[in-house]
Amino acid sequence: MKKAITLVLMAALMLSLAACSSGGDGKAEAVTKDNLKVGVVHIMDLGDQGYTYNHDQGAKKMIAELGLREDQYIPKFNINDTDVAATNAAINELVNEGCQIIFATSFSYGTQVVEAAKAQPGVVFCHATGSDAHFNDLTNLHNYFAKIHQARYLAGIAAGLKTENNHLGYVAAFPYAEVISGYTAFFLGAKSVNPDVYMDVMYADTWGDALKEREIAEALLNRGCDVISQHSDSVSPALAAEAAGKWHVGYNNDMAPAAPNASLISARIDWGIYMTYAVKALLEGQTISVDWGEGLETGAAYLSPLNTAIAAPGTQEAIDAAAARIISGDLKIFSGALKDASGNPAVITNWDGSEVLFTFENENSVFLESDEISAPAFNAIIDGINIVS
Amino acid sequence: MSATKVAARAHEPFVRIIKKDTISRGRAYMIRALALLASLVAGALLLLALGHNPLPVYRDMVIGAFGSAFVTKETVRIAIPLLIAGLGVALAFKMRFWNIGAEGQILMGAVCATYFALYQYQTLPQALLLIVMALAAMAGGAIWGLIPALFKARWNTNETLFTLMFNYIALECVRFLQYGPWIDPKQRGFPKIAMFEPAARLPKVFDVHIGWIVAVVLVALVYLYLTKSKQGYEITVVGESIPTARYAGMSVSRVFLRTMVISGALCGLTGYLVVAGANYTLSESTAGGVGFTAITVAWLSNLNPIVMVIVAVFIAMLQRGSNTIQTTFKIPLAAADVLTGLILFFMLGCEFFLNYALVIRDGKEKPNE
Repeated sequence: MKKAITLVLMAALMLSLAACSSGGDGKAEAVTKDNLKVGVVHIMDLGDQGYTYNHDQGAKKMIAELGLREDQYIPKFNINDTDVAATNAAINELVNEGCQIIFATSFSYGTQVVEAAKAQPGVVFCHATGSDAHFNDLTNLHNYFAKIHQARYLAGIAAGLKTENNHLGYVAAFPYAEVISGYTAFFLGAKSVNPDVYMDVMYADTWGDALKEREIAEALLNRGCDVISQHSDSVSPALAAEAAGKWHVGYNNDMAPAAPNASLISARIDWGIYMTYAVKALLEGQTISVDWGEGLETGAAYLSPLNTAIAAPGTQEAIDAAAARIISGDLKIFSGALKDASGNPAVITNWDGSEVLFTFENENSVFLESDEISAPAFNAIIDGINIVS
Repeated sequence: MSATKVAARAHEPFVRIIKKDTISRGRAYMIRALALLASLVAGALLLLALGHNPLPVYRDMVIGAFGSAFVTKETVRIAIPLLIAGLGVALAFKMRFWNIGAEGQILMGAVCATYFALYQYQTLPQALLLIVMALAAMAGGAIWGLIPALFKARWNTNETLFTLMFNYIALECVRFLQYGPWIDPKQRGFPKIAMFEPAARLPKVFDVHIGWIVAVVLVALVYLYLTKSKQGYEITVVGESIPTARYAGMSVSRVFLRTMVISGALCGLTGYLVVAGANYTLSESTAGGVGFTAITVAWLSNLNPIVMVIVAVFIAMLQRGSNTIQTTFKIPLAAADVLTGLILFFMLGCEFFLNYALVIRDGKEKPNE
């Protein structure tokens, strides 16, 4: 009898929740500064002291610059970007809470953001580091990134001048253009001041997993790398370098406070510039560009202060000189007769290598990275970079 | 009390653990309620240490799980795979076969279903496609469960290690497909499997995918199977004592094999519901720990399928609640995990006090009740 009652109760529970479904559809209301709600889907939380922390700083800057209330920024933290259901749930919750604009910060949210943009034409979606907006006709879908390869090139100068054995290392997330573009820029920056450098790259197959990032950092340090850098979300590679008495070049956040004896400099993105731009455009009824990617010239990509206590002498001057040339347009990062490991001209291909998009034939070859599409496209593995598997 | 007994007691440890004979239903519920209360108090201390007032945090956890139709549907969505996989492992546990390979069985089920979703969606009408996907998933899970059972029946291998290791093989299979043969060209090189076409997606009933109906039906079926059928009785006997089962003329290895096929098939079906009902794609996190949480679901319910419904919803509530407080109170993920872990720890830990009593030396001897 008791069991029958339980069964009936369970059925009642399931039906009752199903019955009171739907709601949150009729949103014809105009967006005002007062009713605006900005949702952000974050891959980790502030504890990563890296990517998510930095993106959260951007959102807070946007709130401050536009004079919004703090509760108008609704973050969803720790939304695993490989967990499709969790991603969908987070986006749907933000829509349900009445957000008129939603930022999704990780590349792998892409497919879900596209689906959501189709299902919710009244909501503006901005997806960082993705490239779907360019390939879709959705007017409410936008991509944004920064020309971080410029900042990475400059940070590479600090590494190239500091290294004692010319052996650099790089904790890389995925064998994917965004990551390859980043580490190649870092390597070319180092090489511009130290032609003898070579670099080991190891993949983590995740954007962010503090333990795994640290393991890989330690493996690189054990291989003899004396300056390592990273394209991964947390501060743990810097901590590994600190513990090993070696040096590190950071990403996202200024990693010097966490690793004062290791962190030379960090390549950073000021997400606040874009978030302010996009939200302001929404409030003023302006169009938000399909792709957005600014660089050093506006400060969207920038460097943390150089850790002068440990950096090699002359580093700041070398960085400043290169930065001026990048901003003036004299220096293009991916240019010249770049070679692959077998000495052939390096080529940029489409994703599966079936089609060559660009060849670095001679000294005059220039590939404009993140120009039309904000997501990076440089995916050549050049000579001097060794992928360790 | 005789002199020898007193002398003996002097050498006793300060606290002795004794087995309780039986325990009344009311008392059992009381112990469980006390455990829940104790867990909330322990959690409150953690929250206070983090600088939060515990009451609003707890309130938001419940609101985050049941506060609106929208979040309730999310809670149910999380509960569905926990419940079905819980049913699956409970069948194995009932015969004392430690199937901790649900995670792998879920993944292999999902892999088999995904094959048809990606490559056969044009060749079959939707209803048939969805049925074929379900059958393929059950077959995939069943095979992944059957292999350890075969080894156990034939060579008496350790099924705990065997099923555990099979999880990793399944995960690597998914990774292989994701990074290689099944990579989605639209991702331009990023290792991800394509989203299923609409034809390969399960319909929704009351705005939650149809898996919840499957779950409710399976709860009833597994309950009847365990309590009313001959095969269910065999499972219980094998679980209680293998020699007894042999003496009664049961083929123990056949019970092992048969039950693990069912157990694996249920887990495989879970994988199907996750990919076709919720995620619409296969990824490394398709199982996402469900196979391990299902073990908690099974034991917290004492392997009772009906109770499992409540426990699965409860654990789903904790997950949703933990998600909510990360957003509303900015409580870090790790702390939220500790909080839910504390609650589950107390709930599982109290099972000890249902079966054993602590006797303190020199205290008055407690009469057994």
